Order: sequence, then C-alpha cells, then structure tokens
Amino acid sequence: MDTANFPWLTTIILLPVVASLLVPLIPDKDGKTVRWYALIVGLIDFAIISYAFYTQYDLSDPGMQLVESYAWVPSLDLNWSVGADGLSMPLILLTGFISTLAILASWPVTLKPKLFYFLMLAMYGGQIAVFAVQDMLLFFLVWELELVPVYFLLSIWGGKKRLYAATKFILYTAGGSLFILIAALAMAFYGDTVTFDMRSLMAKDFPLNFQLLVYAGFLIAYAVKLPIFPLHTWLPDAHGEATAPVHMLLAGILLKMGGYALVRMNAEMLPGAHAYFAPILVILGVVNIIYAALTSFAQRNLKRKIAYSSISHMGFVLIGIASFTDLGLSGAVLQMVSHGLIGASLFFLVGATYDRTHTLILDEMGGVGKQMPKIFAMFTTCSLASLALPGMSGFVAELMVFVGFATSDAYSVTFKVLVVFLAAVGVILTPIYLLSMLREIFFGPENKELTSHEVLVDAEPREVFIIACLLIPIIGIGFYPKLLTQVYDSKTIQLTARLRDSVPTLAEQAQVREPLAAQIFRAPAIAK
Amino acid sequence: MEFIYQYAWLIPVLPLAGAMLIGMGLVSYGKTVNKFRQGSSVFIVSLIGAAMVFSFALLWSQIQGHPPYNRIIEWAAAGDFHLTMGYTIDHLTSLMLVIVTTVAFLVMIYTDGYMAHDPGYVRFYAYLSLFSSSMLGLVISPNLVQVYIFWELVGMCSYLLIGFWYDRKAAADACQKAFVTNRVGDFGLLLGILALYWATGSFEFNEIGDRLQELVQSGSLSVGLASLFAILVFLGPVAKSAQFPLHVWLPDAMEGPTPISALIHAATMVAAGVFLIARMFPLFEGLPDAMNIIAWTGAFTAFLGASIAITQNDIKKGLAYSTMSQLGYMVMAMGAGAYGAGLFHLMTHAYFKAMLFLGSGSVIHGMESVVGHDPVFAQDMRLMGGLRKYMPATAITFLIGTLAISGIPPFAGFWSKDEILGSTFEVNPILWAIGWLTAGITAFYMFRMYFMTFEGEFRGKNDSIKNQLKNEQLQRLGLAFGPGAMNSKELTTDVPELHDHEAHEGHHSDTPHESPATMTLPLILLAIPSILIGLVGTPFANYFEAFIHPPGEEAIAGFPPLEIPAEFEWTEFLVMGGSSVGIALIGITLASLMYLSFKIDPGAIAKTSQPLYNLSLNKWYIDDIYNAVFVKGSRRLARQVLEVDVRIVDGIVNLAGLVTLITGEGLKYLENGRAQFYALIVFGAVLGLVLISGIT
Repeated sequence: MDTANFPWLTTIILLPVVASLLVPLIPDKDGKTVRWYALIVGLIDFAIISYAFYTQYDLSDPGMQLVESYAWVPSLDLNWSVGADGLSMPLILLTGFISTLAILASWPVTLKPKLFYFLMLAMYGGQIAVFAVQDMLLFFLVWELELVPVYFLLSIWGGKKRLYAATKFILYTAGGSLFILIAALAMAFYGDTVTFDMRSLMAKDFPLNFQLLVYAGFLIAYAVKLPIFPLHTWLPDAHGEATAPVHMLLAGILLKMGGYALVRMNAEMLPGAHAYFAPILVILGVVNIIYAALTSFAQRNLKRKIAYSSISHMGFVLIGIASFTDLGLSGAVLQMVSHGLIGASLFFLVGATYDRTHTLILDEMGGVGKQMPKIFAMFTTCSLASLALPGMSGFVAELMVFVGFATSDAYSVTFKVLVVFLAAVGVILTPIYLLSMLREIFFGPENKELTSHEVLVDAEPREVFIIACLLIPIIGIGFYPKLLTQVYDSKTIQLTARLRDSVPTLAEQAQVREPLAAQIFRAPAIAK
Repeated sequence: MEFIYQYAWLIPVLPLAGAMLIGMGLVSYGKTVNKFRQGSSVFIVSLIGAAMVFSFALLWSQIQGHPPYNRIIEWAAAGDFHLTMGYTIDHLTSLMLVIVTTVAFLVMIYTDGYMAHDPGYVRFYAYLSLFSSSMLGLVISPNLVQVYIFWELVGMCSYLLIGFWYDRKAAADACQKAFVTNRVGDFGLLLGILALYWATGSFEFNEIGDRLQELVQSGSLSVGLASLFAILVFLGPVAKSAQFPLHVWLPDAMEGPTPISALIHAATMVAAGVFLIARMFPLFEGLPDAMNIIAWTGAFTAFLGASIAITQNDIKKGLAYSTMSQLGYMVMAMGAGAYGAGLFHLMTHAYFKAMLFLGSGSVIHGMESVVGHDPVFAQDMRLMGGLRKYMPATAITFLIGTLAISGIPPFAGFWSKDEILGSTFEVNPILWAIGWLTAGITAFYMFRMYFMTFEGEFRGKNDSIKNQLKNEQLQRLGLAFGPGAMNSKELTTDVPELHDHEAHEGHHSDTPHESPATMTLPLILLAIPSILIGLVGTPFANYFEAFIHPPGEEAIAGFPPLEIPAEFEWTEFLVMGGSSVGIALIGITLASLMYLSFKIDPGAIAKTSQPLYNLSLNKWYIDDIYNAVFVKGSRRLARQVLEVDVRIVDGIVNLAGLVTLITGEGLKYLENGRAQFYALIVFGAVLGLVLISGIT
C-alpha cells in the first residue's frame, strides 16, 4: 500500500460516518451490542488518526500536510479538499480522543441506544471534518451539518428543559453561521477569480475596509461558538440540559471550533483586519474571564457552574490569539487542547455525580465525599487542573498567554498592565468558585436528606479509566509542555510572523503624546 | 562527590514517586492498600529518609567548599522564548534541604503514632510525601517560574491536608480559606514575575537583581516602579508566610491533623516566604523603599501575632499565632538587611516550633483518651493542667521548646532572635523596640501555655468548664465560615449532634497517658537541635553566617571562622542580649504569677482592660472585617452579575425571539390601525419578557 498517497484524512472523516449508517442494521435487542460497535469504530478511527499523523506528518513543516483535493461540484467550484497543519492536527487528535471516550462514557444510555450511537458516530466524523476541510464552502456545510446531531442529542436525551435549550442552541449557532456564509461568499467572489479554496483565498489581496467587514462577520459567528460575551447565553442552557457524553463533546470539542476558526480564518486569512480587531479581542477575552467567573460563582446549578467556567477559560484563548507573540499564540492553542481535556473530564464527573445524587442543585448535596471517595478524589484533581494548578496543562497554557501578552511589543504599556492585571484577577476568582463547589458537594457532614433516598456508590472501573485517560495527557503536558507545543510550534511561529507583518509599524503611527484613553485603545503597532 | 550533584534531582523525585505509587494504589485497589498500613508508611518514610541522607551529603559537600551546581533542561519553548527548569545546589539550598528533610522525616515517624487509628492513615502518608516532594522542589528551584510552580503545589498540598478530615465543616472552610488567601498572594507574585520579566527579560534570580540595578541606575526604569515590582513579588511571601494582611488563613489551618501543623504550618511551607525573600535578596537589597515595607510588615505581624496569642485558649491556635509572630521576626530581619540572621531564625524556629507542635499533638492525643475526639475539648487548655505527671517526655520537650522560643540562653532561639534584634537596632531603633517588646510577650504567652497545660491540677473532668466551652462554640458559629459559601443553610450546622457523638464514644479513661514511642522519639530527637543548634551561630563564632551570606557578598570572616572577628564587641552583645533576656524573664515571671501561683487573677486584668482584651480575643476583628467586606462583597457582586446575565444579556435574546414570534403571527392582523391593539402587543411583549426571565 502506498501510505504516502493514501487518503488518510478522508478515511478518518468517512469511517465513522459510514459506520453510523450501518447502525440500524445491527441486530441488537437489549441495546448492548451497539455500544460495543460504536466503541470499536471509535477506537479504530482514533488508531488511524494516530498512525497517520505519526507516520505521515512532519513536525518541522509549517504548511498543509496530508492534503487531498477532489472536485465535487465543479460548477460551483466546490472541492472536497482536506489537509492538516499545526493548527488542526492537535485538534483532530483531541477530537478522536474525546469522542472515543465520550462513547465509553455513554455506556449507561438506555433510551433509544441505536439512534444515540448513530448520532454520536455521525458527530465524530463531522467534528473532524470541521478541523480538516480546506474549502470555505465545504467548511460552511460541515459546520452546519455537525449541528444536526447535537440538536437531536440535546433535544432527545437532555434534561427537563431540553427542547428550549436545543432550540436556543440551533437558533444561535445557525444564526451565527449565516455570517460565515455571507463572509465566505464575499471573499470568494472578490477579485478576478472565484474560488473557495482557503489557500487561494489567503493569497488574495483584500482591501482593508473589505477585510474589516468580513472579519466582523466571521467574528460574530465564532463568538457564538467559542463563546464570547455577550453571545454566550446559549451555552449554559445547552450545557445545563445535556447528558454527560454530549457534554464532553460540547465542552471538549465544539467550543474549540470557535477558537480554531478564529485563528484559521480571522487571523490567518485577514491579518490586516486582525491588527485592528486584536485589541477588541483582548478586551472581550478579559470580560469573558472575569464576567463568567463571577456568574459561575453565583450559580447554584452544578452543570451551569462548570459551563460558565468554560466560558471563563476561553477568555485566555482570545488574549493569546491577539497577543502578536509566538508564546501567546502557542498558549492559545495549548489552552484549547488543555481545556478540551479538562472540560471533558469535569463534565464527565458532573454527569457521574448526577447519576448518583440525581440532583444538580448544590444546596441539595453535601458531604457525599464520605461515600464516594474515588469520585471525590477525581473531582478534586480535575478541579485543580481547571484552576490552573502547576503540573497540569491548564497552568502552562495560562502562563504562556500571560508571559506572551506581557512581553508583546504591539500594545502600549498601560493597556498591557490593565489587561494582565484584570486577567490575573481571574486567577483569584477561579479557585473561589471551583473550591466552593467542591466544598458544597463533598465536604462537611453528610446531607441526611440526600442519603435517605439516594444510594451513593463509588466510581466503577469504567469511570476511573475514563478519567485516568484524560488525566494522563493533562499531567503529561503539565510536566513537560514541549510534548505538545513542539507539535505545532513551526505553525504558530509562521503564523505570528505573518500577523506581525501586517501590523502597522510605530513609525507610521503618530508619535505625539496621547491622553490615557487613547493610549489604552490605540491600535497595536510594532517597532521594526 | 560530583555524582551526588548529578543525582540530586532524586531528592524531590523520591518522595514524589512514593506518593504517586501509593496514591494510584489507593484509587485502584483502595482496600488492599489500606490493609498494608505499616508497609505503605515504612515505604514512604524510607524514601524521605534516603532524601535526607542525600541532603546531608550535599550540605557536607557545600561546607567543604564545593562550588554551586546548576543543571537545567529546556522546559517550554515558543519561537525565541525558552523557559528552562532544573535545579541548583548552593549553600542556601543545601541548608533548606536538610531542614525540610529532617523535619519531614521526624514528622512522618511521629505520624505513625498520631494517626494510628485514623481510617485515612495511608492517604495521609501519601499527602505528606507529596508535600515533601513539592517543598524540596521549591528549594532547589533555579528560577522564578519554577519557584512559582512549586509555590502553588505546596499550597495545593496544604489545601489537601488542612481539609484532610473533610467531613468536618470547620476543616472544609479552613482549607478553602487557605487556598484562596494564598492565591491572592500568588496573584501578586505572578504579576511581579511578569513585570520583572518584562523589565529584565529573565527569570533567573541573580540576573533579575543585576539587570534591574542597571536599569535603575541608567534611569530607564524609575525607582518607584522597580520598588512596585519588588512589592508585588513580596505579596507572595506575605500570603505564604502569613504576614499581615494575608495572615488570616494560618490560624484556621490548624483544623488539619497536628503533624501537618508541625511540618507545613510551622517548619517548612510557611518559611518558604522567607526563603523566597532570601532568594530574591539581590533584587530587594537595592530598593530601600521595598526593604522598609518588608521590615515594617514583619515587625507589625510579629507584634500582631503575639498580641493575639496571649488570649488564645486552643493550644494549637496559640502556637499558630506564635508561628505568625516568629515569621514576622524573620521577615523583619530580611527587611532590615539581616539576611543571615533571618535564615538563622528560620532554621532554629523550624526545629523548636516543629517540636512544640508535635508536643501539642502529643498532648491532644493524650487528652482525647479522656474527653473524646472533639477538637473543642481536646485542644482547649482550660481543660488541661497537670499533664507533666502523666506525660513527662512531652512535658520536658515542650519546656525546652518554650525556653527556646522565649529566647533564654543557651537554647537555640536566643541566638537567632538576639542576632535579629541586634541587626535591626543598627537599622532602626523603633523596629528593634517592637521586636524587643514582642519578645517579652512571646515569653509570657508561651509560659502561660506551658503552665496551663502541664502544671497545676488536671481539669479534664470538670463538666462546668465543658459546658462553658460548648456554649462558646455555639456562639462562635455563624462567624466562622470561609469564603465562598453561597448557601445560607450552611450556617445552621448540626452542632448538638457532634456532642452526642462525642458523649457516646470517648471516655476511655480518667487520666491522660503518655504517647507511644513513635511519637515521643521524634520529640526527643527534635529537642537536640532545639537546644544546641543555636551554637553554630553565636556572635563570637558565627559559623552559620560564614556559610550563609547574601549572594555576591563575600563572607566577612573566612570559613570556618577561626577567630573572633575584630569588630565583635562583648559589651554590645551583653547589653543587647541582656535586654532581650531581661524582658523575657519579666514575661516569664508574669506568666508564673498569673498561671502557676495564681497571685494575679488573669480574669481581673481582662475585665479592667475589656476593649483591649476583646481586641486580642477577636483577633483584632480582622477576620470579621474580611468576612463582611470580601467574602460577602464578592458573593453579592457575583449574584448581581448573574442577575445581569439572566435578565439582561439573556433577556434581550429571549425578547428578540418573542418579538419575532409575535410579529410573525401578528402581522396578518396588525394592519387594522387600532392604536389600543398596538399597545396591547407592546404590553404582551413586556409581560412575556418578565415571565421568561423570571422562569429562566
């Protein structure tokens, strides 16, 4: 077999999708065969992903690799074009990893198991496709298609208000993705040639005003997904209603799509506009960090609490993307992967706790640590990871963003001081809400009302296994970050150089002494 | 000898490996591992023992004059940015390694007796080992980022260990309070590190200091800004070493098991702040404003801690405030530029305070057999008394510790405290006066503690005192809750139940008993350095300062100091030493009059100076103020932000949805031109918005 020319990415995307179509044919009376089937498909696909990247991917090359392109609808110039670079490759790996674990996490699902696993497998392929496709129109299509399984997974298996949450989710994201379509069409038809291919679009020379408009369009779409304040309110509802496996996918992968697309399209394709929007991204990032940390603190519902904490953590991604330094951008990518792992583990544990207590309201819990020491231990570890304890991946990511932004030469000192100070306030707020949460669930004397009607059993081996799988990379990256950063380093360096090229130099900006407000909101500039 | 340097990384890695192995065993095969209690503990103790032998070898090699050793690897990189991690072994590191490993080793032996009947015995050892590993990692750090990493990790271990008995509400609150308070300090430290990196482009201790000096001298960085950076860094030690205003977590941290109080909250972790100041000394040294703030913070904390300690009745709380006060001395010494004196006190204090805490644990252990496993009774000195008869080994070692901390020669504390006071006097006599006064208070409260616990009649069977304590505890509840509790129900804890529980269980015997040998042996072993270690730093033959001196400064005398330095003056030493011994003796006499011979009634003094007494008893109301301002304030703010999120941010979205729905449906009927109909729609929309935002 010619491994170099084998269509690896297409196989990786299509395998779970094709396998999902076979689900109805599986003879399965008690709903227990299909879960093994889904798990095996997931494992095979993850194995192929690992093998393909291990053998075919060159870490030192910042360009697109494993590229495939086939004409699909020539009249529309629609190509099936996929590829992976330092930006998408870690996220594809993450998707395979989290999706497989999510299938293992959905073991207890008994309601309509065939439909459930069909949707899970369809989503598996759809999510990878989002990170792999290199064609704008195709990107829009898979972006939309991947919403459908989520909608059903939310509306059939969710909690009490699942229909409201699912509708809100679909309206929000579909509404947002309209902007992708408009912006993509505008970019494609601009100039002499009509093309949807991302690399060709990158080569096009857009005027600044056009870039700014398109950038704003993309930003709205991805702000919904990431999510960025004030477009985040679908997330607590969706997360509050989803079941644990869906939760893992939502937090672990779907949020990352927003960050990925923001880097891929906004930053990489529209660097001119990025220079102007970057300060806005930074401000939004800071707002995300503090605002969501405070709301999370006040939340009494466990799932919504963690949902808001996700929003808070995504703020660091925004600051990193807008830092104009290698370190900051590297930290942003690391934060996406790290939060994918940590978020998935926390949501899984929330689900595991809910399976036992049958309540998500913190006031109705308390003192359950005595009976569930293993869940207590795992929950504590994952919470500590989430509050960026050194030795775990979250710390490295946040530190890189902090140092990257603090050393960035693109912003005025006043602006940097303000941003770093406020973002560091988030560092104080995070342990407040996470440790309060732990204390209210596990610490203290046992809640007699709860234990009188619920049997609290400790974690089973399957659950310990899932958390162990997630903790190994979390701690591994925390101990030695180069494990992950070297995978995409060449790409982030190249991208930062591209971004810095388009930032106006200091000499072009007026050197007069400005009032404080102007200093803060000054567009970034670099001394060259 | 080179090979011990190459393998020095084993010192923190050995305990880490032990903790990981036992920890993983606990999660996967909990029952089996819990059965091998002694096996697990022997395993962990021998690992820390090996680390201790290693540390002694390193210290010996450093004393022999081996040059400092550095080893680093690249840890994180992005573009031009390279961050290295590794270890550095120099005089300061080797000294700290020996202090940490010896105290940890002895505390671990002690733990076997203290925690013998606890179901969490193995888990406790795993945590202890994890802590030792983080602390050792901290002291060998070659740069600021690595310090920050281990700084947080020791904080995490402290969190886990304070909350060890997690079914106790007080422990649950205390561990959160400790972590969050420390995070406030870490916030400053992080900002300081970032600012220093921005200014100097380095995370290395010496480089930062040198480059910052250059920048200040060349005028490209103002002195004020440089001092601000230094003070931000100092915020880290303020939290970790329990200095005012971030000291509030330390007394509450006594909710953890006593071995922890000895190891983490007396000897090692809380001293990490002083260690960091010592490491960053090249930075602070050149900034007089920063040095002044450090010195005054230390002096104020020393006085604050001592003034609160005199009215504490819980034996561990009393020791905790005393720790805070002694840490204040060290910080004050650092601020006064007495680098060697501060670290000397760190060392002597580590030994005698660890011994005092372990002694208090032994007392509590003995009391529990009489009054039951309730900290309210077992730790209150009003129920103790006369314990010397029942626990002689504990009493003698406790007395040695008391003499050491009171600064009576030739015990260890005298030499270090005297050196601090002597050096502060040269810098600022007011600082000296505060320190001198505090020394008197220290002698008073420590002997009050000793007399109440070990002398007089045993009061453990006195039911009227018990009832009084019970009432006091009920009154205290409602004040003592940590940050973050959003739940008002939490305030109504089931206190009566706790006491029923106690009534059925305890009361094994009528008199307390001496603790087992695993507990008394560490006490006796710690008594040796508590008596003798001070002799390495006497003013006439100061081996200690010849070994430990600020980087960049050559020792005044060569090593070892063969003869008395020329500038040493006996008269000055006698005056300084005499005055501090004098005030200590006054304190001791006062304590003996009040608590041994009962010539003076303490109650009467409390009554005549009621406001002062209340101020001390209520810890200067600092906890209450923080609770009202920060804890409640942050909760209120969080609730308001959530309201905004639900009603406004989400409300607008829902309103938009509703409006589209109504307009879509209504458009067909709308064109009838009747004004009241339009008004009805507007009214309906508003009503709908209110309803929806009310539901969600």
